[in-house]
Amino acid sequence: MLPMQKEKKFIFGERERFMLLLMAPAALLLILFQIIPIAIGLNVSFRDWALYNPKETWIGLKHYFAILSDPVFTHTVLPNTFIFMAGSVSLSLAIGMCIALLLNRKVKGQKIIQTVLLLPLMVAPVIAAIMMRWMFNDQFGIVNVVLGALGLETVSWFTNRVLAFSVILFTDIWLWTPWFTILLLAALQSFPKEPFEAAEIDGTSRWRTFWYITLPMLRPVIVVCVVIRTIDAFRTFDIVWTLTGGGPGRGTEIFSLYAYVIAFQNLNFGKGSAAAMIGAVIILAFGLVLYKVLNKVVDTKA
Amino acid sequence: MRQFHRPFLFGIPTYAGLMLVCFLFAFPVLWLILTAVRPPADMYYVHRGWNFTLSNFGTVFENERVVESFINSAVIATASTFFSLLVTVCSGYMLSRFKGRVSSSWFGLIYVFRCVPYISWVLPLYFVTQKYGIYDTYAGLLLPHIAVHICFFSWLMKGFFDGIDPSMEYAALIDGCTRWGAFFRVALPAALPAISALGVLCWLFTWNEFLFALILTGERVPMATVVMAQFVSEMGIEWNLMAATAVLALVPAFLLTLFGQKYVIKGLKM
Repeated sequence: MLPMQKEKKFIFGERERFMLLLMAPAALLLILFQIIPIAIGLNVSFRDWALYNPKETWIGLKHYFAILSDPVFTHTVLPNTFIFMAGSVSLSLAIGMCIALLLNRKVKGQKIIQTVLLLPLMVAPVIAAIMMRWMFNDQFGIVNVVLGALGLETVSWFTNRVLAFSVILFTDIWLWTPWFTILLLAALQSFPKEPFEAAEIDGTSRWRTFWYITLPMLRPVIVVCVVIRTIDAFRTFDIVWTLTGGGPGRGTEIFSLYAYVIAFQNLNFGKGSAAAMIGAVIILAFGLVLYKVLNKVVDTKA
Repeated sequence: MRQFHRPFLFGIPTYAGLMLVCFLFAFPVLWLILTAVRPPADMYYVHRGWNFTLSNFGTVFENERVVESFINSAVIATASTFFSLLVTVCSGYMLSRFKGRVSSSWFGLIYVFRCVPYISWVLPLYFVTQKYGIYDTYAGLLLPHIAVHICFFSWLMKGFFDGIDPSMEYAALIDGCTRWGAFFRVALPAALPAISALGVLCWLFTWNEFLFALILTGERVPMATVVMAQFVSEMGIEWNLMAATAVLALVPAFLLTLFGQKYVIKGLKM
């Protein structure tokens, strides 16, 4: 740390001024564009405010009760959101891990493969969704063309809730698997060789080597990746919006979409804000638990 | 680590697997490009026939709204990258070099706000930007974009500065450099690779961002992603034009990734 740190008394000196000036712009922006909006959103969520009813009367927790007893929210939106989080994170982790292990074998052309893998990372989720929507188009999409050519029945992907949801999941996995691969591969390549050589000499099977050596060594990286991705998966909006718009019916609606639809399509700002706040509370609880897990894992590692 | 002698045949499944992976990850993009170069008559049968044309791109460029939205996206992405880095490098440096109550509460705040779903604060931002009078302007989109990067990037920059030995900065201080001098002349040059990496990522994030653009802009400042998403519903039948627009939107991101590949990978690993 910089000198003068040992001084016990808090003196507002040059050092403190430097410290505060460094964080001032960031703190100011955070206050103006995150903390104040959330406070305003919280206030709005207790009020009866819609475009057709701009009186803003205080109604307390009524919106919250309405949302928590809304069957669409409890029976469609919440399960969808959590299945999406779990499915997207676990599958992209598993596939990403397989690819990373394959790439870790000193294969030729690793550079090219790595460049190809970067492709999904630069594609905007909206574009990925447009792409998939075209590929899974029921009449002219390549997926159905291939299915037809194979003599199978063509599938109308977006009229069935489960199928539409699978396409959304597939798009998200396509977008995020490379991220897992790159991070896991970086970790794999930083490992010392000795444990693996020892296992090799002892004649340990590949599976056991993976299970007892590679996986425990990868654990901290995996946990960090999973924490970051889980929190991000919760706020997914763009791919669902572009692929299905929440349809068929409201079958594939997930949390962000639900709040958006109430606020900007039903133009009920009060209720939409309440939905947004409920989501924030859910993910914050999740985030705190994950943070504990994260600290624990990093501690046992060190 | 697995370069020990293996039977020769062992390489084949590995390569087959990797080829499959490459194919799966590249195919959707290739298919999009192929759709974009098909003439209107053939657009529904991309897999059939050999007629190709570049006229779709011309048609897209004739659409003023699309061109305008691309320019807007580029301006916002560039400005947001510049200002986000300016702000978060400072805040990350502070988090790394100072310990104590201020620093740890700032870090806690950042973690909490990193978790908050975008919709929860972009929805009220819609009212706030109208109140500040900046709804549907460059500022109204730019400032929230900078704010959204504060949490994650400060966190990344802290991690990066933690890895740089501060003894050079002490030396500079002892030699009579001010704290700002030590920061700008010693710490910043050492962090330049990390800053470039974050810059590339930040540009890509902003260029690709959708929800902010959807909620915080209207007619005056159309953004590329929003215009494209509107296309799907408005002219969802003209897939060749749709694909051409998407391909054009991919070009800057693609060039940036290709030339900054080293930095992209570095940034992702941070």
